[in-house]
Amino acid sequence: MFLLGLLAIPLLGAALIAGSPAHAAKRVALAATSIAVALFIPIVAGFDFANNGTMQGGVEYAWLPTLGVKFAVGIDGVSLALLGLTVLLGPICVAASFTAITDRPKTFYAWLLILQAAITGVFCARDLVLFYICFEFTLIPMFILISLYGSTNRAKAAIKFFLYTFTGSLITLAGLVYVAWQHSLKHDGVWNFDIDTLAATARNLPLSTQGWVLLALMAGFAVKVPLFPVHTWLPLAHTEAPTAGSVVLAGTLLKLGTYGLYRFALGYVPGAMAEHAQTIAILCVVGIIYGGLICWVQRDVKKLVAYSSVAHLGFCVLGLVALNQTGITGSVLYMINHGLSTGALFLCIGMIYERFHTRNMAELGGLAARMPVWSTFMVFFAMASVGLPGLNGFVPEFLCLIGSFQADSRWGHGLWGSTTTSMASYGTRGDLGPWLTLIAGTGMIIAAMYLLYMVGRVVWGPLVLPPGFKADDGHGHGHDDSKGSHTAEAEKHDDHGHHSVLPTDLCGREIAILAPLAFLCLALGVYPKILTSSMDLAIDSQVKVLEEKLIERDRTRMGSTTPLVPVPPATKPNEGSGRPSASTIDSRIMVQNAGMQEAGR
Amino acid sequence: MMTLLTNTHGLMHALSGAALAVSDEAGHAAGHASGPVAQTFAAGPMFGLLVVALPLLACILCGLCAMGRVKTKLPAFLTVLCLAGSFLVTLALYLQHHGQPAGTAWIIQGFEWIRLDYRQMVDSVVQSRSFIANFGLYVDSLTCLWMLFVTGLATLIALYASEYMSHDVGQGYNRFFAAFSLFVFSMACLVMADNLVLLYLGWEGVGLCSYLLIGYFYKKPSAVAAAKKAFILNRIGDLGLALGIMLCYVHFGSVEYKVIFEKCAPYMASLAAGQLDQIPLIAQFIPLCLMIGAFGKSAQLPLYVWLPDAMEGPTPVSALIHAATMVTAGVFLIARTYPLFLMSEYALPIVAWVGALTALLAATIGMAQFDIKRIMAYSTVSQLGYMFAGLAVLTSVGGAAHVFTHAFFKAMLFLACGAVMHGFAGQLDLRKLSGVGSMPGWRVVGIAMLVGCLNLAGFPIITAGFWSKDMILGEAFANSQMQAIGWILLLTAGLTAYYTFRVYFRVFVGPKHYEPGDEHHGDDHGHDHGHGHADGHDEGHQTSGKHGFHPHAPGWAINTVLATLAVAAFVIVPLVALNHGGWVKDMVGASSAQFNEKAAYLIAAKGDLHTKFFGFDAHKAMMVVSSIVGLIGIAVAFVLHYQGRTTAATSKADALLPAFGPIAKWAQNKWYVDEFYNAIVRMPLLALAQIFHWFDKLVIDGLVDFFGWTPRGLGGSLRPAQSGEMHTYAVGMAGGLAVMAVVVIVVLM
Repeated sequence: MFLLGLLAIPLLGAALIAGSPAHAAKRVALAATSIAVALFIPIVAGFDFANNGTMQGGVEYAWLPTLGVKFAVGIDGVSLALLGLTVLLGPICVAASFTAITDRPKTFYAWLLILQAAITGVFCARDLVLFYICFEFTLIPMFILISLYGSTNRAKAAIKFFLYTFTGSLITLAGLVYVAWQHSLKHDGVWNFDIDTLAATARNLPLSTQGWVLLALMAGFAVKVPLFPVHTWLPLAHTEAPTAGSVVLAGTLLKLGTYGLYRFALGYVPGAMAEHAQTIAILCVVGIIYGGLICWVQRDVKKLVAYSSVAHLGFCVLGLVALNQTGITGSVLYMINHGLSTGALFLCIGMIYERFHTRNMAELGGLAARMPVWSTFMVFFAMASVGLPGLNGFVPEFLCLIGSFQADSRWGHGLWGSTTTSMASYGTRGDLGPWLTLIAGTGMIIAAMYLLYMVGRVVWGPLVLPPGFKADDGHGHGHDDSKGSHTAEAEKHDDHGHHSVLPTDLCGREIAILAPLAFLCLALGVYPKILTSSMDLAIDSQVKVLEEKLIERDRTRMGSTTPLVPVPPATKPNEGSGRPSASTIDSRIMVQNAGMQEAGR
Repeated sequence: MMTLLTNTHGLMHALSGAALAVSDEAGHAAGHASGPVAQTFAAGPMFGLLVVALPLLACILCGLCAMGRVKTKLPAFLTVLCLAGSFLVTLALYLQHHGQPAGTAWIIQGFEWIRLDYRQMVDSVVQSRSFIANFGLYVDSLTCLWMLFVTGLATLIALYASEYMSHDVGQGYNRFFAAFSLFVFSMACLVMADNLVLLYLGWEGVGLCSYLLIGYFYKKPSAVAAAKKAFILNRIGDLGLALGIMLCYVHFGSVEYKVIFEKCAPYMASLAAGQLDQIPLIAQFIPLCLMIGAFGKSAQLPLYVWLPDAMEGPTPVSALIHAATMVTAGVFLIARTYPLFLMSEYALPIVAWVGALTALLAATIGMAQFDIKRIMAYSTVSQLGYMFAGLAVLTSVGGAAHVFTHAFFKAMLFLACGAVMHGFAGQLDLRKLSGVGSMPGWRVVGIAMLVGCLNLAGFPIITAGFWSKDMILGEAFANSQMQAIGWILLLTAGLTAYYTFRVYFRVFVGPKHYEPGDEHHGDDHGHDHGHGHADGHDEGHQTSGKHGFHPHAPGWAINTVLATLAVAAFVIVPLVALNHGGWVKDMVGASSAQFNEKAAYLIAAKGDLHTKFFGFDAHKAMMVVSSIVGLIGIAVAFVLHYQGRTTAATSKADALLPAFGPIAKWAQNKWYVDEFYNAIVRMPLLALAQIFHWFDKLVIDGLVDFFGWTPRGLGGSLRPAQSGEMHTYAVGMAGGLAVMAVVVIVVLM
């Protein structure tokens, strides 16, 4: 029932805002999002962590009984974590907009709340139709937030965002409906849209069909993530969106894509995933390096962070397509932690933008001298984003990389394994392997390059402020020495007629926004177990299916003539065939190798 | 000589009692021919966690000071207190550990940091797997050795810094000590970790603190650039380390030392049987990956270029982080995972060559520099090369002993340089300072500098640096495979002695003269007095009065620390000198860095461990030869830089420079390595980034827009009523998908 509350409270808040005066909008929004946070506590308390793989807290109502559509919500460990992120970012986004949004606040806060409700709906939907409706509905509030409250180029950004993701999602819809249709064919025309029920059907589709479904799913989810090369809407949307919009975008909206991949690409078409994981992984790796290097030459600090999402989400999806426990756990952790650290970076940049009305790094520099508190937060979150161990970014990144490192069917065989001792291999099946991981790993270096470039420019160095701001004093108000247009702008941003006051360094409200995020970054870096142990079974059930498919795949490949495994030069021919349990695949590989080697001589 | 040693040994006993009571019998037992010391694992005492926790507490307290905007020396006080506490706990831990049988490794469980449990099908059987990286400590004698000097020196240097940084009280003072304590915490994690991932945490943590402290003077663009360079070059190494850790996990199924060492045992047995080919190739890759991390952190070729630039940081930072402790982390990593390095036929030879070449290269650069702190930085790079070479020529004792002695004397050298820098307004140019040691109030600094220089130059018998360096040289010549390494290191020893005493003879003795630098700390030196131009005056301090500048002689904290270190530099002589390695040998020999597989390794590598040096025993011969080489270096420096020198700016060496042609200039310009890297790595990468940037803008996004505009143009003529925009991007989307589909197809083909 609490889940319904999570969905309803933001909507109620939005309705309340519509009927309340403009100046009260932000307070109502803050109250609504805070209640949602409070409501999340009993959800966590009531969650059975020992059975985190099963859907819990479920509520189900018939919706369109003739089509089998239900209004069904429920969460497992993975949804719970993402739900937590969504709920937590709610009040933070509202509070971050207090001084930034003064024009038409009612519309802003109402849509922000609706957006939260829609994202909440995605993460707890158990019915495909409900999932898709919420998934698509996120577009409208975001479109409005960007197009009404964005910066100069907002119209183009909003339209591009909308249509790019919308078109992709339509193709995804086709894929999902196809699965449902197949299900109805197999069940005498009875339609069912239950996500778990459909999974069973989808998994048994022929491999080629699964491939097409995967392509359809990728069309929507890859755009949303975004993966290279369908990422170009993201930097534009991020740059133009208001701060709160960017935070939601980076924090949770992108995670709809990765969550979709987790839930449907892995859950529905594991066979196709096993086939095509390498292709997706290559796109990820390209994105990691390509996005990272582009960050390095940005002038616009917000665009830099936006492109960093392309690189970061590359790691996230790389872990996902590793198709093993380490990689997928890393990937889900990455979803949470990227939301925290990148969201916080956008907040920090928003605070600077509010003060200096520029995002150009040539006009900003050495702010440590003027804003030590802000600088501390900025360096902290940049380090979290770099993936410094002890902060939240490290564990997911490392697990994703280990996952992809492990995912190679050649581990344990031939040159890739042990020849003398009976040491088991700790690799998993797959096509990714160490080389891909090595290339992806250079993304760690590139991340340090661009984030330290940004920090070195904006935080350290001699003080540089945009024209109109005096660099001499370190105290007093941010606007007090600005003349002309800045004063006018400051007054325009004013809410009630009195002077808009933002101190030179952060004010209490801003610290209160950043501090919980900083705390979480540290806490999840030091004790990630709180997350990993709450989703291990949920991921395990996915991995089990994937592993079966991978074994099947490796078996099929064994049938082909090309050897999968390099022939070990030092192995004696008899060694392989002498092994017990010759019926197993692993030994078959050995036998074949040995046989081929013999034939080769 | 022996009397001296015995006396010092006695003194040492008196000083720290049982702490250092290493029985000579034990020393003999762990000698060359001794059998392997079996590693046994046991749960350790929980109070060991305090070693790590106290520096963290100091960091938190300093952070609170920063929040409370404390404008006193409180953070320094808190830091020194906590670090001293950490040192005492380490000492207690060491004493208790010393009572255990040799080879005991304690594992102290903190809390579960990363833990994943899962199942996996192997041979149709479901096996349980786990990835465990706990916050746990691994305490063996190697850990104790390292932590004793890390916490001890950190305490002393924090005390020194409390005075050195005093002009920043109320400004960066809190920040400095917060980062300083965080560094000690990270270093403790690195050294005491019971698994490679926690080591990685410490590894990157010290990198972060190094970044924050090099960039401490953040308004200076050069400091910011140096900090960034250090972090990024370290990250390149870190990638190697990370891959090594992953390889370890995939091969051994664990990242915990305990499991890794246990699973290494069969490989060690193969090694002992001389069957190196029985060790799987994939395991042999592990050390190759790990060493890249070690080269990054310990500033070896090709990643050494960050360390000289790191001298932008405050001098206590250079002393602690960039000389004594952090940069030895790479040596520690190899010593800790020594069994893994023995597994590969190529790993240790590569380490030996990298170490030896770095030692030589850095020494040649150091000879041609004028900034005394930079000279010390290059000498650090060079000495680190010795340590790597030591590990690689199979004397892990020599390598560790050199780390140990180097930590003391190099910290002392840096702190003495720092005192000069502090007193002469940032002046570090050896052409602008002379006779500092005989100026009033500078006696302690002069003596400390002399002691440090003697150690670095390897002055025979009485210095600890001589003994540790000698072990490495002797072992290199004794090893038939490493003769070339030995010659390079011997040459480097001579160069080292020369450039070390070049600094000493130029700056600390000779005619008194100085020009202040351009840094004015606070207001205690009066108003801007520009550069003190004392040229042509032999007695610089007489003229300086006219400029209103008075050298700022060090106070009690700096002098105390320097005096303590100078005494310690002699106290540690018996610890490394007695019985081919003394106490350090016992410590290393009972740890994972034991080299009891040495013989087996050499059989496998078809080498010989008892090569003669021109018919003499290599170890004995080296004691004489390296003494002579060191003394020659000192003598050359004496003739060229002291004898008959009347000014600060010039010496007899200047007359010799033309004889070297352009080589001297090249060395002075650091062989243009920075420029080379810039040209072959940074610029191409930047160009690639720009290409990607425009490719993204014009091609990928352009394609999206193109697919969008085309139907709009067509549709515009056919159906003018339609808005077009929607279609535009819908088709643009399709364009993006088409690109993706093409990629998919290409890859699948």
